[in-house]
Amino acid sequence: MRASTSFFPCGKDVDGRDEPGHDGVVGRENHMTPPSLRDRVVPAALGLGTIVVAILAVEILIRAGWINGFIVPLPSDVAMSFGKVIAEENILGRFRATFLEAFAAGAMITVVGVLLGLLLYRVALLRAATETWVAALASAPTVLLYPLFLVIFGRSASTIIMMGFVAGLPPVILKTVEGLAGTRAVLINVGRSLKLTPTQQFVKILLPSALPTIFVGIRLGLIFTLINVVGVEFLINFGGLGQLINDLFERYELSETYAAICFVILVSVLFFVITEWIERWLRPAQ
Amino acid sequence: MVTAATNLRAEAPRPADAILVVDDVSKRFDTPEGPIVAVDRMSFNVAPGEFLAVIGPSGCGKSTLFNIIGGLVEAYEGRITVAGETIAGPHAAIGMVFQEESTFPWRSVLENVAFPLEVAGVAKAERHDRARHFIKMVGLDGFEKRYPAELSGGMRQRVSMARTLASQPKILLMDEPFAALDEQTRLLLGDKVLQIQQQLKQTTLLITHNITEAVQLADRILVMTYRPGKLKRMVDITLPRPRSSEIVSSEAFGRYVAQIWSDLREEASRGMLDDETHLRASGG
Amino acid sequence: MAATGTVSDRAARAAPPRGRLAQGGTRVTLLRLAIIAMVLITWEALAYSGLLYRDVVPRLEVIAAALWTLLIAPDTWRHLGVTGYEIAVGLLIGGVSGLLVGLLLGANRALARAYEAYLYYLGPTPKIIFFPVMIMWFGVGFGSKIAMAAISCFFPIALSTASGMRQIDKVLIRVGKSFRLNAWQMTTKIYLPAMRAPVVNGIRLGLGVALIGALLAETRLSSQGVGYLIIQAYSVFDMPRMYAMLIILFVFAIGANALITKLGGLHRS
Repeated sequence: MRASTSFFPCGKDVDGRDEPGHDGVVGRENHMTPPSLRDRVVPAALGLGTIVVAILAVEILIRAGWINGFIVPLPSDVAMSFGKVIAEENILGRFRATFLEAFAAGAMITVVGVLLGLLLYRVALLRAATETWVAALASAPTVLLYPLFLVIFGRSASTIIMMGFVAGLPPVILKTVEGLAGTRAVLINVGRSLKLTPTQQFVKILLPSALPTIFVGIRLGLIFTLINVVGVEFLINFGGLGQLINDLFERYELSETYAAICFVILVSVLFFVITEWIERWLRPAQ
Repeated sequence: MVTAATNLRAEAPRPADAILVVDDVSKRFDTPEGPIVAVDRMSFNVAPGEFLAVIGPSGCGKSTLFNIIGGLVEAYEGRITVAGETIAGPHAAIGMVFQEESTFPWRSVLENVAFPLEVAGVAKAERHDRARHFIKMVGLDGFEKRYPAELSGGMRQRVSMARTLASQPKILLMDEPFAALDEQTRLLLGDKVLQIQQQLKQTTLLITHNITEAVQLADRILVMTYRPGKLKRMVDITLPRPRSSEIVSSEAFGRYVAQIWSDLREEASRGMLDDETHLRASGG
Repeated sequence: MAATGTVSDRAARAAPPRGRLAQGGTRVTLLRLAIIAMVLITWEALAYSGLLYRDVVPRLEVIAAALWTLLIAPDTWRHLGVTGYEIAVGLLIGGVSGLLVGLLLGANRALARAYEAYLYYLGPTPKIIFFPVMIMWFGVGFGSKIAMAAISCFFPIALSTASGMRQIDKVLIRVGKSFRLNAWQMTTKIYLPAMRAPVVNGIRLGLGVALIGALLAETRLSSQGVGYLIIQAYSVFDMPRMYAMLIILFVFAIGANALITKLGGLHRS
């Protein structure tokens, strides 16, 4: 949209895409110009630029003595520690450890979550009774059970995997139920008019219809799982990347700690982006 | 009586008497596929108390015209004057009723309708009183305390209409307000609108794609071409007033509809052809 | 309109008449009670059997006794107060800044394009890993816990505010403009009421993660608070007390969640 004189938006998504009118007419008539290349590059550059400037500012302030260098290490030092951390701390091994834990937990939440979701969908009474509980569980601070899991499973990968499992399970269940229940009645009627058996109905109609939503649930679950896996690694000082941060901090290697934190953020962001791509690839219409 | 017209200017009324003057208005959009002219040099006038329907095929620029007259479009060519004043942004004398659901879901019916009065600073008791008057006018008395979510689509549109009427605009501007409703509700609401307009002597400009609706309600019908939207024909509807929905079964009514449809059909076909070509070209 | 609909829509519309519905409601309650009873019985059976090693599954009476002891000890409430304070302040700081940032990003498309992606991708990271940094910057006392709560809740609140602003039904904005509202009227009569649901949801989410942030920080390095009590019980292997603390914690969490939902008026809309 050309620079609006008003500060307030006219209700569009970040890139100014107008949702089409009900009959497509409004969308065609109120034709919005999609953001030009310039409209996208300039803000992106601004965002990146601000961050670079901020980092530079911190560097200068520390060198000038305005910020205590013992509390905030020089960004340049942190940058250099990256190499050290990668070389000396067996980054690959740690990454592999975290990945395997997350993978194990992820596999569990997928299998158990979808099955439980299926169960809830089939047994309406059970669903009516427990769905709100599952929803409550999704927002409950389950990670705080980690001392309990420590007692049960010891300071091991099992604790981490189980914590990841508990955290990621509810969204999978909820979205599975939602996906199955959201099957349009008309599609089921098509199946009935073709005299499909219940199994066929399920496999050929319900499941495909529900799959996109189920994947959303799995993705959400995986995100919660990963967050908890890394978090618990840090807390119990065991495992891969989370433990690395803890280790470096206890050794008071500040630059390396910051570097490791950045590294973990990178991994987490990458994971998030990749799952987003996969989801988009699986749901082209969206 | 159908005035044969290929020109851009309509004959009556004279600009001096008109309450709304649309003067040589054009609107162009820049799209990645190139510039699109939505409205192409349209000019017409509306007399006070007149009911003018603007009809055209989908995609002809009707809604753009609606937004321009309503003052919601910032850059366009030409001029719109309301009671002699050129508009710059939404004019206080124009009340808009939108096509989409536009009731405030967080306000009750009464609070929705009282909204323009609230904004104008009218005291609570008085504005609620006045709002009730308009709620009654659209036939929703008894529903004041309900929330939009509890009402049907048709009722919600009536609330929107009452809300706009409560601001007592000199010109009522409506963009396909009944598009989302079924035919029967539409006819009945059309009746309501007729009653209201006849009671208030309200100048009304109705954008629609529904011929029956246009002939039922209007004094004059402006037929638009497909994009770029131009004035194709201005049709005087000389059906007797006051009217009701029973008029739809009369012979004269049928003749008007047939006439307008033959005009529209041409434009609508162009629209469909355009769409298909477009889709094929984009490898859809 | 009647032709479309999902399975659940159809089921809802085909809902049984009043009498049967009431029956359905009680069946649900009965099932819930049955499930709870089953869990408790299994628990007690496990506790008695001594199958699980050491005291991982204490008997229910023992847990109840520990819970009682905790509830009547004024010290427990002091610790609860400490945690509550940390969360409240953290939520205030993170919430207000989140709201402001969210409003800015929602209002201005260029700003959103510049910065929102960072918030979006930074959101789902385990904030606990920032704890060492928070300790360095804010010390080992209240400061670091409040900071943890604040950075935890900032992201969901900012993001849901920004998206809430953008999701406002566009026609409502046009209605406001057609009535020629000024900026203040637009904000108070259109934007804020229209955004209430997403903002309250964001705050609810924010509370949840602020809670986690503060508590995890307490378990790592603290001498006060609920997290400290939990980890203390763990360190002396007082399992009943740990369970009791966890129960108190979860009740607190659910209560706070319900409170915000109620205050935000979400339950009725």
